[in-house]
Amino acid sequence: MYGFEALTFNIHGGYLEAIVRGHRAGLLTTSDYNNLCQCETLDDIKMHLSATEYGPYLQNEPSPLHTTTIVEKCTLKLVDDYKHMLCQATEPLSTFLEYITYGHMIDNVVLIVTGTLHERDVQELLEKCHPLGMFDSIATLAVAQNMRELYRLVLVDTPLAPYFSECITSEDLDDMNIEIMRNTLYKAYLEDFYRFCQKLGGATAEIMSDLLAFEADRRAVNITINSIGTELTRDDRRKLYSNFGLFYPYGHEELAVCEDIDQVRAVMEKYPPYQSIFAKLSYGESQMLDKAFYEEEVKRHCLAFEQQFHYAVFFAYMRLREQEIRNLMWISECVAQNQKSRVHDSVVFIF
Amino acid sequence: MEEEREVYVNDEAEVVKAEDKLALQFMDSFHTYLTLSHSLSSTLRQGWMDLASARHSMGTSRVNSSLLDLKLHPAATTLKITENDGTQPRFMLQKWVSSEHESTQLEDKNEQPQDSNSMTSSDTDEVQKERFKSLSVFGVLISPKLRATQLSFEKALETLIELANMRSSLLNSFHQLQQEVEDTKE
Repeated sequence: MYGFEALTFNIHGGYLEAIVRGHRAGLLTTSDYNNLCQCETLDDIKMHLSATEYGPYLQNEPSPLHTTTIVEKCTLKLVDDYKHMLCQATEPLSTFLEYITYGHMIDNVVLIVTGTLHERDVQELLEKCHPLGMFDSIATLAVAQNMRELYRLVLVDTPLAPYFSECITSEDLDDMNIEIMRNTLYKAYLEDFYRFCQKLGGATAEIMSDLLAFEADRRAVNITINSIGTELTRDDRRKLYSNFGLFYPYGHEELAVCEDIDQVRAVMEKYPPYQSIFAKLSYGESQMLDKAFYEEEVKRHCLAFEQQFHYAVFFAYMRLREQEIRNLMWISECVAQNQKSRVHDSVVFIF
Repeated sequence: MEEEREVYVNDEAEVVKAEDKLALQFMDSFHTYLTLSHSLSSTLRQGWMDLASARHSMGTSRVNSSLLDLKLHPAATTLKITENDGTQPRFMLQKWVSSEHESTQLEDKNEQPQDSNSMTSSDTDEVQKERFKSLSVFGVLISPKLRATQLSFEKALETLIELANMRSSLLNSFHQLQQEVEDTKE
């Protein structure tokens, strides 16, 4: 029953909630970002990060540094934190933590399949995979010729198996089918995660519903904008939207027929929580939409820490850390390309 | 005697005029070359920034070099070099025309010419299709930032060709001027 978690949560989840709140305290602050934005070279960035929790991961990297190296090493910090929490977690928290990584698993599957279609070496593709999305038989994906084989040979034994029911066909894999597969899998994953959180109940269900609904709505807007001018039909576009969220079902009907960014704006402005996002953008502009969405996402994830005795803090921490890594990637690129005037275009401050 | 001197002075004046004209042509070409070079630098900076922005938006796993297609396929854009009298090479870019389509286009030239408006819109549709096809290595539902990156690098390629032609013209003007000066000395 919601409200009585305080009696029992700490028995199994107390230690890990304390750990994740400690990790949250280690996220970079505004003054850290101000220092990083003033760096002249990537070595300066490494020097500033040596005083943060990323220090041990970057200290042995030789010069000259590359932006991808900084991102890889900072991602290792996230992976280590996650693995520590996963190995200490009991059910249902362990399942909850595993759900957080399924998105990365889907991205890795699509990366391997797409790269194989383009006749790339499997080892080269495996190096580019996200470490949180790895599973044992991932390299075997390279032998599949169509989705039925993909499922039968590899994915049937992975947590993504239940999400494949809507994509199993014997059609050969091509760029369009792979894209539809990616989005269909992600849709099924989000809906499954949503149902799992609802079953958990309490504060976890309430906070995660809000966070996952925002994720679903943001996906719907991105799919709409990215499919404008492509061969994706309106029906196919509609099928990729998740069956929950603020836009479901009437917003989805309107988004499915949008042909430009201003029509998308008109749909979103009918929903008060999203009016503030488009208020920051001028008409016809879509460049800053990503940053506006990230800012809203960060705000919601920070609010998750205001309440105790629920699992949403773990999800929020992972997402905030990923946002931090995106910030570091952007700052590194601006410094490497000597375009520091653009650094505030995409950096989202967390605190 | 006076007539001969007058003819000689007139000839000299014409030679000086020709030299001045060549020198001006050379300076104009050089100025345009520097302007194009500056424009190329700024377009490339914009292109790299757009690419970083696309990687930030879509994620590094969706935009990286390991997704580029290594299968044999015809080039979407080709460069044709012609030489005028063997002295000044001319560079011409044929954009978004794969070799499969090139043979079709050569056949079409023998047919009756279509209305220019419809040809322009169908050409634009073809060009758009080729653009999408070349970006499809990163997926079908890609961010508008990646399309902006493509346009930036496309513009940079056009500027590079203009630069090559300008350089060719510059070198030609310089050789002519040099020749003129040597002839004058003789």
